[in-house]
Amino acid sequence: MFFDGNIFWFLMGIIFILVAAGFKVFAEDKGWVLTWWKWLLAFIWYVIFTMSFYTYGTLHGERETADIRLFLLGMVISLILGVGFWRLMAVNPKNETTKEG
Amino acid sequence: MSEQPTQGVSRRSFLKLAGLVGLAAQAGGLVAAGNNAGKSSESYTGWESFNPGTQFFNRKPFEFEGPAHSPVSAVRRPSHLTDYVFGRVGTFQKFYEKHPEWKLGDPLEDLELPPYLIEFYSKFPERLEWDFKTFSETIPNNMKDRKIYENYYKLADAYSEGFTAHGRSLPRPQAPPEISDFLKPLSEDKQIGDPVPFKSPDLAAEFIKEMAHRYGATLVRITKTNPNWLYSEGWRGCPPDYDFSKMPEHWTYAIVMAVPMEWDVIIGSPQFSTSYDAYDRVSTAATRLVGCIKYLGYPARAQTPMTGYDMIVPPHAVEAGLGEQGRTGFCITAELGGNARMAIVNTNLPLTIDKPIDIGIADFCKSCKLCAESCPSGAISMADSPDGMVIRGYEHWYINNGACYNYWRETMGPMGCRMCVATCPYSRKDNWLHDMARKLDPRDPTGVVRGSLLWTQKNFFDYPKAEEYHRPPVGHFASYRPEPPYMVADKYLDIPITNPNEGG
Ligand code: SF4
Ligand code: SF4
Repeated sequence: MFFDGNIFWFLMGIIFILVAAGFKVFAEDKGWVLTWWKWLLAFIWYVIFTMSFYTYGTLHGERETADIRLFLLGMVISLILGVGFWRLMAVNPKNETTKEG
Repeated sequence: MSEQPTQGVSRRSFLKLAGLVGLAAQAGGLVAAGNNAGKSSESYTGWESFNPGTQFFNRKPFEFEGPAHSPVSAVRRPSHLTDYVFGRVGTFQKFYEKHPEWKLGDPLEDLELPPYLIEFYSKFPERLEWDFKTFSETIPNNMKDRKIYENYYKLADAYSEGFTAHGRSLPRPQAPPEISDFLKPLSEDKQIGDPVPFKSPDLAAEFIKEMAHRYGATLVRITKTNPNWLYSEGWRGCPPDYDFSKMPEHWTYAIVMAVPMEWDVIIGSPQFSTSYDAYDRVSTAATRLVGCIKYLGYPARAQTPMTGYDMIVPPHAVEAGLGEQGRTGFCITAELGGNARMAIVNTNLPLTIDKPIDIGIADFCKSCKLCAESCPSGAISMADSPDGMVIRGYEHWYINNGACYNYWRETMGPMGCRMCVATCPYSRKDNWLHDMARKLDPRDPTGVVRGSLLWTQKNFFDYPKAEEYHRPPVGHFASYRPEPPYMVADKYLDIPITNPNEGG
């Protein structure tokens, strides 16, 4: 089955790098200085966001009616954390300038 | 060479767009991967194609020096005639049919019950109430219900019957242990050969476990047979005057095996599930293992659901470290939760025994209570802890098996209920989601994981109310989850079908 095979997870890894690269450019354009802890926060948010989809799919496959409820819970948590983390992303350390261009 | 600003902007925009598209692709891909993980045949713990990889939980870090059970008062061995529900209700039925006018409150002597049963019912009057209800009310009602709704469950019955038919053909001991356990399989007179020595008990245990898995056991661990857990009478092949007070010397070891009921079927409990798929498979595995051990020159006897038991299994399973005893009274295993039907093979082949484990199930049960809340008969205790629940000298959770059996006789489809198996959060398939819970909870000393898992279970998962599982008009013969698609009788059968969920 493709969706549990090595090729699938390899592709997911490649796409993950692409998402990280896109985020880096996005952050630079916003003027955020990406320190290690901001990368960590972004990663945590990304894990929660994507795991909501993974959990939804798994419970759906098991024919559990909790699938959509837990998905919505994941989305609400992602939204709340997303707003909080977004603000933190804009906090730049002193003496750091953003690179534009 | 520096890029033109327009090219630079376009490359950056492209990367941002690609990141966004990647995010969507990952979300979609994970839904598909999750869906696959949820329904993949590889997630059907115990029914996967990778036996013996079915025993995937690493128990080593959680082992402790046994025993897991210590008596708190005088020990009494279980009785086939009273404690064992089928033995007891069989006798009650026989005498009640002779005195159908007998009612609760009348002297028990009027039923002409054997003295041991009068004594038992005097000690446990609630069992008498339930057994009476079963035969005076529940079974007659069930016969009426089956006339109306039976066809709706026809395919579930057919599925179960396939396993029953095979399981019934398995050989049972026809002589006392000192004789039959030393005879070649299916032989009435041919003795097993001389024992073939193993290099060490470690290697013997390793070999036996490999065989058990290959014969179909999902889980297998080894402990010593405990004489306190042998039935006090009625061992297979033994005449009534047999000396049941001593354990046969060659029953030294108990090789405990477990097999789950099919996962899509078990969540159709109580009406659509059956115990017989796992009964048959675990009995078959044990029968095969007996053949193997006897071939190597050691006596052996299988204790199985299809061929009968001379001892009780759950405490042996706990001592062997298959799992811990749960609120339901049976052994909740690390991989299968409560969805584990068990068999034992007794032998004197020297084997290294396993240790019991503590993976926090007993503690989880104290706060969980999901099985008790879902139990249609109220047979499972709602107490906060098993403290003070002493049965036959041991303190642990136990259920009211009279109430439980009464509901079995109310259900439609293959007889039985199994709701406590279906609802238990430990009875879950083998995929990343449940495996993560299996691994994290026992390693979390703070209880945060346990609390979150329970909160999620109780607030996001559907649990029909206990009364919905009853017959109309109180309930509507609800099932925990819909039956698997291949059991929808309407789809396959050209017969009149009445669905109790649609008001009959
Ligand atoms: S089998 Fe059903 S009736 Fe019996 S204890 Fe379990 S949930 Fe209750
Ligand atoms: S449902 Fe909960 S209380 Fe019942 S056996 Fe399972 S974990 Fe224990």
